[in-house]
Amino acid sequence: MSRPDSAKATAGAERSFAAQVEKLTLGAGEPFHGEAILAITKALLQAGVAYVGGYPGAPVSHLMDVLADARDRVLTPLGVQFEASASEAGAAALLGASIHYPLRGAVTWKSIVGTNVASDGLSNLASAGVTGGALVIVGEDYGEGASVIQERTLATAMKSSMPLLDPRCNLPRLVALTEQAFDLSEACQLPVILSLRIRAAHMTGRFVCKDNRPPRYGLRHPLPGARFDYGRIVLPPSTYAQERAKVEERLPRARRFILEQGINELVPGEADHLGIILQGGTWGAVLRGLRLLGLADALGNSRIPLLILNALHPLVPEQIDGFLAGKRELLVVEEGNPAFIEEQIRALAQRSDSGCRIHGKGFLPEAGEYTADVVREGLARWLERVDAPATGAGAAARQREIDARVEQARARLPAAAPPRPPGFCTGCPERPLFTALKLLMRERGPIHVSSDIGCNTFATLPPFQVGSTVLGYGMSLASGGAVGPALGQPTVAVMGDGGFWHNGLTTGAANARWNEHDAVLIIIDNGYASATGQQHIPSTGSTPWGAPVRLSIEQTLRGMGIDWIRRVNAYRVADTLAVLREALDADGGLRVVISDQECRLARQRRQRREQAQRRQRGRPRRQARFGVDAEVCSGDHSCMRLSGCPSLTLQAADDPLRTAPTARIDGGCLDCGLCGEAAHAAALCPSFYRAERLIDAPGWRRLLHRSARPLLRLLGAR
Amino acid sequence: MNGLRPLCVLIGALGGQGGGLLLEWLTGAARIAGYPAQGTSIPGVAQRTGATTYYFELFPRQRESDDVVFSLFPSSGDVDLVASLEPTEAGRAMQNGWITATTSVITTTGRIYSTAEKVAAGDGRIDPGPLLAALQGLAQGLYLIDPDATTLPLNARLLGAIAASGVLPLEPDTLRRSIRETGVAVEANLSGFGDGLTRGSASPPVERQPAFDPAPAGFEAELEGFPRPLRPLLGHALARLLDYQDRDYARLYLRRLEPLRPGADGETGLLQESARQLARWMCVEDVIRVAQLKTRPQRLRRIRRELGAGDDEPVVVHDYLSPRLAELTALLPGSVAAPRPGSGLALRWPTSSPLGYGVLKAVAGMRRLRRSGRGFRREQATIELWLAALAGCAGRDRELALTIARLAVWARGYGPVRERGLAELERLLSGWRQRLERNATGYRADLQASLQRALNDPDAIPCGGDQGEQQ
Repeated sequence: MSRPDSAKATAGAERSFAAQVEKLTLGAGEPFHGEAILAITKALLQAGVAYVGGYPGAPVSHLMDVLADARDRVLTPLGVQFEASASEAGAAALLGASIHYPLRGAVTWKSIVGTNVASDGLSNLASAGVTGGALVIVGEDYGEGASVIQERTLATAMKSSMPLLDPRCNLPRLVALTEQAFDLSEACQLPVILSLRIRAAHMTGRFVCKDNRPPRYGLRHPLPGARFDYGRIVLPPSTYAQERAKVEERLPRARRFILEQGINELVPGEADHLGIILQGGTWGAVLRGLRLLGLADALGNSRIPLLILNALHPLVPEQIDGFLAGKRELLVVEEGNPAFIEEQIRALAQRSDSGCRIHGKGFLPEAGEYTADVVREGLARWLERVDAPATGAGAAARQREIDARVEQARARLPAAAPPRPPGFCTGCPERPLFTALKLLMRERGPIHVSSDIGCNTFATLPPFQVGSTVLGYGMSLASGGAVGPALGQPTVAVMGDGGFWHNGLTTGAANARWNEHDAVLIIIDNGYASATGQQHIPSTGSTPWGAPVRLSIEQTLRGMGIDWIRRVNAYRVADTLAVLREALDADGGLRVVISDQECRLARQRRQRREQAQRRQRGRPRRQARFGVDAEVCSGDHSCMRLSGCPSLTLQAADDPLRTAPTARIDGGCLDCGLCGEAAHAAALCPSFYRAERLIDAPGWRRLLHRSARPLLRLLGAR
Repeated sequence: MNGLRPLCVLIGALGGQGGGLLLEWLTGAARIAGYPAQGTSIPGVAQRTGATTYYFELFPRQRESDDVVFSLFPSSGDVDLVASLEPTEAGRAMQNGWITATTSVITTTGRIYSTAEKVAAGDGRIDPGPLLAALQGLAQGLYLIDPDATTLPLNARLLGAIAASGVLPLEPDTLRRSIRETGVAVEANLSGFGDGLTRGSASPPVERQPAFDPAPAGFEAELEGFPRPLRPLLGHALARLLDYQDRDYARLYLRRLEPLRPGADGETGLLQESARQLARWMCVEDVIRVAQLKTRPQRLRRIRRELGAGDDEPVVVHDYLSPRLAELTALLPGSVAAPRPGSGLALRWPTSSPLGYGVLKAVAGMRRLRRSGRGFRREQATIELWLAALAGCAGRDRELALTIARLAVWARGYGPVRERGLAELERLLSGWRQRLERNATGYRADLQASLQRALNDPDAIPCGGDQGEQQ
């Protein structure tokens, strides 16, 4: 009922970033137009990196995608090594190359989660110190569009003494700061973090390129020899010396670099009794807020002096003191919490007895994204309070005028927009699995299901609402460890193949086997890290750059002595349901159910090309989709409560006896078959049908078709 | 200080609608024309049908330097153009304060329903009509695109409408060049762009009221006894029942409704709801009915048309039929023991083959056997119970009677779903008189709660699931 394990090696996701790769080859003086994340990738090459790695995750997945495609065309000829790390911990460990050797290296991942996974390596790296510049580009997944817990990377940077850059959102500045980050890292011997928010990563702009710089040492020019230095080892007494060096030498050198190289930026303004210190990443929102309050223009000129912190850590006391001199009121615009920057500035102001009052949280919200609206409202409140006679009155009046206009408009809205969280794509192979789990719970009552990171997390949303906890990537199985015994029932854990290779193999499977957990692990082996855009993983069948390497999940588990393993084709809901029942009822130990259907987006891409080729050659092709007989549809939408497929939708009933809309399948149907299978498994209404059209059919099929027609007509079909 | 401001454009879309490409065309056109501009997006949720936005700012003076401050976020009250690929996404923009009297709005008339709207058992749909009327009254200008007017790409048509709106200083030729340079499905997108540029605004959507079938001949005298405004509905029901069974069955329908005819006050609400529910219920979709509907003369042709199949192209239709044994044996007389619920067949029935079609046609021809079957009698008994409660309450408590009429919604679906619904009705209505007399308030609340469950989430029934599946 499912394909043999060995037959699955997929050719890959078949995406192409050729146009982006081309931009990485631009030379000195040529203009670059594109997204920030690609601009940073180009900046790495201009800075002479010797190696790059990372783990995909929004908003920095694109960096990994483009580098993988650029490996043969750009990176290898330049002498740059590229690795698709198995996890963020692997990527952090990769930076170990910069400890002893003058190699510039950069890695990337999604933060805060990736930083958490990497933090063991990062702590050790920062303590040992680096010789070559080491840069971590984190996608700060914070605010609208984020998919992880809301924490900031600054805390990690501070406790490990790593400089953290939060660049002003302007492409030329962003590129320059990326290149300077390596100089900074080498100047202070600390790894540097460059943080990029979601919207900033996808921001478009232009800058003038430099030539790519081949690394001094790397693939093409080997290092003179291996090195050993006990001072770089994280054992006592080296660790004590390293801790002292961080605060006594390295951070002071970082501060000097930040000051001397003008990393942070000053914008003068006539209202010099006031001042705003802001994170570089909030620059656009602050300037827009000031402009709409009548205090700045569209070219970055401000009536209130600004200190733009492109480096959030470490702060430079003399720079802050200098800015505070002569000011009476200061606002710190610092997104997220705790407010480390505001508290440091308050302490500095007190120490230097500056007499300037420090404001921040309170006028601005403690938590949540600092959007343009949030920042403008905070600025208006602050100015009205501290500077009413000068700038405050005007600013407050403008804010009130905006509020009134917006309220007036909003009052006309007849109904709130429907919630539209992300969900499974049309035809997704994960959907039928959760249909089966939902049916299983209808039979057996509630079951504790541990969810994981990845597309499978969407099952916690309607219509499935399956998945009680999410603890982290690859952690679902382990997170049920203490639940099962307490509930007195086996728990079910769902894990994607990405999560399995990232962390689930050891933290989950080995742990469960070792501790003899009474649990069922469902692995969704769809071939890719699908949630982040179909990146290759060890079980895909090939590396991101196309080398055929394949690790088998099933053989790996068998090698660990886990014998109860069943493979299912999730689209066959009734069969899957039977296997799940069997798994739940099996005696003790870990039972594994592997669903091995390929991610539909990837499959679709490949099939579309194949179909086009067949069409050109006039070869027979099938076009199939599902449909609903509206007259048969029972109209209670129970099919939708078991699917949530975007193409299974509603239409107004064509019958005055009905008040509710009937089901309809729109043109987006990909013939995955779930509608029909779910109708069977749950004994829903018999309204679903599958219709398949044969295009350019062979002669015998057309003959059969022609001979059936008169018979059907005789039976009453017109 | 410089008095100019960037023009601000917000694009609202669902993941997969091509909003990203639309943004690429705009940034490309700005580059070609030499305007400083910035686009941004939050595509993390965009690939999976979630609501998302794209944001674009353009500085309306050609400039070489990169000193213009762009914002990554729209500011409320400061958006010049909202272009949305779905009407309720324009509503979301309005909710967020991005549409005010100075904003031009381009949106579509075609709804894409959200999961929240779909999973309601009743009608959970949001009507775009009032929203579009509100936008018409509020915005600087409203331009509507009917997504079904052509099959050309919607995002390209939206780009054409953006060009037509004149909000941005981007000439149609510049935008066309951007489409060409972006290089994605160039010909189709250029045609879509042209369509959006020239077609003009569509009219707001009007939901068509379904038409009544004419009353069959021979019932004129009986219909005279019912209020005139309800006769089209009753006539439609009679036609349906005639199609379902026979004239006697249709007559039974009218007889059953007689006790519910309006009293002196002429109030027809209860009769109307009961008439609608009863007609639906009396046409129980049993095996015979399903076979009849699946072999409607026009059906195969309609399916061929949906697929765009040519006359000579084979089309194979498989119907997913899963009759429970209980449904198959429902045609047998009541003396035959009912099988255990839950067991049944799972058929992929080849309806487009002469044999498959012929068998269904034969089953559809078994209408005469229906009346003696166990299933039919079970339904009729529950109908009588419902009617008795309805007629009994109509005199004392019209509100309650109306609730009972609506509760007939439980009689729907197939197999275990239907079994569950009928059981719920029997639970609610048996001994209705005593229960009403003993604790009227409690009884009313019980009925109301059940109705709400039926209309919202009938799966969340206290018994914990489908009874048929529990075996």
